[in-house]
This record gives sequence, structure tokens and C-alpha cells, in this order.
Amino acid sequence: MTSGPRAVRSVSGAVSVAGALVVWVLLLGPVITLLTHISGSAIASSLSAPGALQPLVTSLEAGGVTLVVLLLICTPLARMLARGTLPFPRVWEAGVLCSLLLPPLVIGLLLVFMVGPYTPFGELIGHLNLSAVNTFLALVIAEVYESAPYYVLGAQAAFASVDPRLEQQAALLGDRPRRVFRRVTLPLAAPGLAMALAVAWARAMGAFGAVVVIAYHPYGLPLQIWTTLQATGLPSALPFALVLLVVALPLPLAAYIWSARAQSRRRG
Amino acid sequence: MLRADVEVDRRDFTVRAAVEVAPGERLALFGPSGAGKTTLLEAIAGLVAPRAGTIELAGRVLTRTSSPRVAVPAWQRRVGLLRQDPGLFPHLSVKANLAYARSSRTRTGATADGPGHSGGPDGTRGTVSELAELAAALGIGNLLGAMPARLSGGQQHRAALARLLLAHCDALLLDEPYSGLDVALRRTLTALVVRLVTERGVPSILVAHELADAQAFATRMAVIDRGELLQLGPPDQVVLRPASVRVAELVGYLGFAAVADQPGVVAGIHPDRVVAGRAPDRGLVLEGSIAASRPAGAGWEVDLAVPGVRGPSAVTCRLPDQPGSSGSPLAVTALGPPLFGADGTALTAGPSAATGAAPAAPAPAPVAGGVAATYGTREARAEGTGR
Repeated sequence: MTSGPRAVRSVSGAVSVAGALVVWVLLLGPVITLLTHISGSAIASSLSAPGALQPLVTSLEAGGVTLVVLLLICTPLARMLARGTLPFPRVWEAGVLCSLLLPPLVIGLLLVFMVGPYTPFGELIGHLNLSAVNTFLALVIAEVYESAPYYVLGAQAAFASVDPRLEQQAALLGDRPRRVFRRVTLPLAAPGLAMALAVAWARAMGAFGAVVVIAYHPYGLPLQIWTTLQATGLPSALPFALVLLVVALPLPLAAYIWSARAQSRRRG
Repeated sequence: MLRADVEVDRRDFTVRAAVEVAPGERLALFGPSGAGKTTLLEAIAGLVAPRAGTIELAGRVLTRTSSPRVAVPAWQRRVGLLRQDPGLFPHLSVKANLAYARSSRTRTGATADGPGHSGGPDGTRGTVSELAELAAALGIGNLLGAMPARLSGGQQHRAALARLLLAHCDALLLDEPYSGLDVALRRTLTALVVRLVTERGVPSILVAHELADAQAFATRMAVIDRGELLQLGPPDQVVLRPASVRVAELVGYLGFAAVADQPGVVAGIHPDRVVAGRAPDRGLVLEGSIAASRPAGAGWEVDLAVPGVRGPSAVTCRLPDQPGSSGSPLAVTALGPPLFGADGTALTAGPSAATGAAPAAPAPAPVAGGVAATYGTREARAEGTGR
């Protein structure tokens, strides 16, 4: 913001600002299009249909469970990756990258062979009368697999940005490791962790590729959009797209604002 | 009392050192960069594990590699460490930084260490006023509400020092804390640390690769090179009577001249301990021609080419008066120079280290005229020390 007026003073500066504006508007194009092609009556009729809001609830629930799972199992991994406390750290990182590079659709296919009803895992949870195909559990598994690499890499960067000498100093001042983590590591990594979590949330809410293979039911929002699109066409699918945006965006937005404020508070 | 007698493995060599620091005493570890000084501090602080040895502090065994093994973790050692980076927590205000240790000790310290610590954590009584008093004494009283990023480098160091003192550590380790600051600020802060360490009566160790920093701080000085403790003594003693040629080089001797009537014996020439003219009763007379000269501080630095058996070699000295032009002859006297034998170790029967106007007693035979030979190349001298 402060560099804007300064850049406009020269011709080349004005050109580069204009160029940046064009790219920015193009990136926001889909959102703008959505807002211009949707009418209030369409929203009302789409959302008032019986059971129309059930996918929203399903998506929120699955997304929430996914975030909790990521926080619990992936945060320690990210911290160990960042601190280099694991043997052969490159191998571990390559593994995380590998899962990031898998197309979601492929993840879904492979998950069927991994946790489907005729696999050891499937039989194991079958004894508990559970199934990892076309269930809420399957939806969560698919969302975890689609979002975990993004969270791990983001959280790893967040932890790596914490100066280890600050943690040493905290220890020398009398804090045992868990207190060092709570009082120094976590607060310093928190802005980065929040952003990583926000990205993971957006991935989980929008998860489609793996979900359509392994968890066609129960419908989450993305599948509802897909089936509505196939059944009744584009215009009736748009309201659900808007709903997806509205529920998926607040958390990343809040995380962004919060982490920006935390950074500026540190600058005093 | 802080006692450390350890061997710590590093990638390229092993640091071996035995030091003892009494309460209120200030020891300087002096040596070139990469000599292993910081490694020794980190071993005492519990940040690296020694391969062998013991570390004791205030009657507590912190490290013992022999049976029964002891390895007290860093958070229970009560050792304060100050580095070049002040290391204030950026997410906490200055006040919260200063109070950081207080809230740790009240929960973990009391159970971990038991009794035996004076001036220790006594809950909340007096802590608020102690913080305010110390902050005021260190000149950061009006910055308590600020975030660390707002402070200047000197202010950050004052805050870091206050934080350590409020932690009531049993020992204070300083790892070149002020080497990044300008000279005036460095002096002020060093004087401040000296005063506070003396007041509190804690043993303290400063790591320095600048001799002036070590001298400004220390009551005793240890010279370390490639992990070996070469000499330990009062700072003036170490500089005036180096134990070996290597120590002499490290503390600033820039030339070594052969002594005429003692074969194999060389005299160390320190640029600051040279006077112009012939004064055979005060030390070793050197005669040669001026190779180069340049202004240095408030005087001049002269490279003097002294002809010798193995060819001429430069001896550097600092003189108050401007010397003649290049090539002109010059005679100087090195005051009571330390003498070293062929193996590079100091000869005990050398000149006395007496300072002041009194002439040094058994001065080496004055050189008649340009027969002083230097001790050889720098590499040869390094080999001579056997390191």
C-alpha cells in the first residue's frame, strides 16, 4: 500500500501497477463471475429444496474432523521435519512431497485398494461394523489425504522459521522442553501454522477427486455441486458454489488477518 | 565455584580444557575464531554433551561422564548464556522478557534444585520491584512496555543482560556478546557486566577473539587454540610472558628476533613494547632499516627489516614519533622481551615482566649490529609449537 503511490510517480511504475492490477483481476475473475451470474431468487429456490443444506453440514463436519486429525498427527511430524531430528530427513521430505504430487483422483483410486472392504484394513474395521467406502469415515479419510501434504509443508516452514537459539535461551532460563514449546516455539510458529491450517481447510472443503471415488455418499458440497450440475445444469449449481465459498473462506481469511496482526504486534 | 574439566568432540578436533572460576571471578577465554571457545561454553551450559569429563557448579555436579553418570539438562543448570544475538523473545514485551525466567523458576526451579541457592526464587515477594530497579539501573526502565523489535542493539543487549540477572543464574557465560557493537557501546556494556558480576558474586566466563575485549573484562585469561588450553593466568602475565611462541603470536607479538649469544633462542617482539633508540639496559636492541611505515592510532607503525642469518625479516613496532623515510636506518629497543627456546616454549630465565620505569633486570645481551635473525617463517614457527 505504501509503495503504491511511490511507484505511480514514474511511467514504468504506473505500467507495472497496471499490469499487476490486470493479473489480480484475472485471478479474481471466477469469483467476480460467480457474483454477477447469480440471482437472489435462484439462491432461494436452490437452498429451500428439501435436504439442500445437508451437504453443507456434512462438509463442515468432515472438514472439522479433518483439521483435528491433521493438527494431532501432522503437527509433530512437521516439527520433527523442521528440526531435522529424524534420520535421513530428505527421505521423509520426499515422501511428503510425493503425496502432494499425487493427483486427487489417483489418491481416491489407490485408497479403495488400501482401505476398501476386501483389504486387511477394511476387514479390520468391518469387525467394528464400520466401512471406509461411501461413509462419513471415507469422506474424512479422503479429505485428510488431499489436505495433509499442504498442512505438513506449511507447518514445517512455520516451525523452521523459529530460531532454535530462542528455544535454547528459554531452556537456559529454566523451561523444560514442553514449556519451551508452549511459551516460545508455538507462539512464534503460530502465524505460519494458522496459514497452513487455512490452506488445509480450503483443500478439505473443496476435496473432490479422491472423494468422488471413495466417498460418493454422503454428499459433501463439492459432490452436491457436481450432481446438481449433471442433473439440472449450470444455473442451479451456482448457488451451491456460492455456499461453498462462503463457508470455506472465513477461516482462511481469519487466519490471514490474525497472522498479519500477530506479525505487526511483534514489530511494536 | 564453577569447575569444568572436559573433552568435547568437534568435527575437526577435540576441545580439551580444565578451568576453575571462583564466585565473582571473571575468566576470559581468548583465542582465534574456531578455536573451540564457544564449544566449551556450550558444554558448560548443557547444550552440547562432552565426550569425557566433569562440570560442577555451586556444589552441584552438572556433568559427569564417569560412573555414576550425571547429565543435568540445560533447563535445570541455572547457567546464563549471552550471545552476540541478544535473543529476546520477539513475541513478548520487554517486561515479559525480563520476567520470563521468574515464571519458569517458580514452577520448575524450586523442585528441581532444592535448597542451597542464595537470593533465589522466593515466589512473588520483591520480584516486581527487583525487575523495575534493575531495568532502571540498566537504563531501560522506560522501555518495559515496548516490543523488542523497537529497541536499539545496545538496548536489546541491556534487556538481555537484565533478563539473565533476574533469572538468578549461578554462572554467567558471555559468548562475544558485544563484538557486533561499536567501540564506545562495547566499553560501556562490558563495564556494566563487570560491575554487576562483581556485585552478584557469580563466576563468569567471557569468550573473546579480540584481546582488548578479553583484557577489559577478565581477572584471569585462558588462551585457547584448536581446542587446546595453552596458557592460563592474569591477563598482563599472559601478554607479557607468553608460555609459547604460539601464545605470543595470538596475543599480538608480530616478530621474533634471534638473540645473539644464545643459539636457537628467539625473543618475541610486541609492537607496543618497543621504544625508539638504543637502551640496552631495558631490553633487546634491534637495528635495521625501515621497510614501510604508516600512521596507526596516535602514532606510527613501522616495519623494520632486521638483517639476520637467514635473511632479513620484518619486525613491526609502534612508535610515537614519525619515523624516517623508507630505507633509512633505525634502532629500537624491545622492552624486556620474552625468550623462547628452540622448541617454541618460553624460557623461565628470561627477562622479568616488570613494568614501569625500572629497568628489566637480566636483559639479554644487546645486539651489536644487525646480527639478530628472525625465527623463520610463520609456518615454521607454528610447527615449532608442536601443535
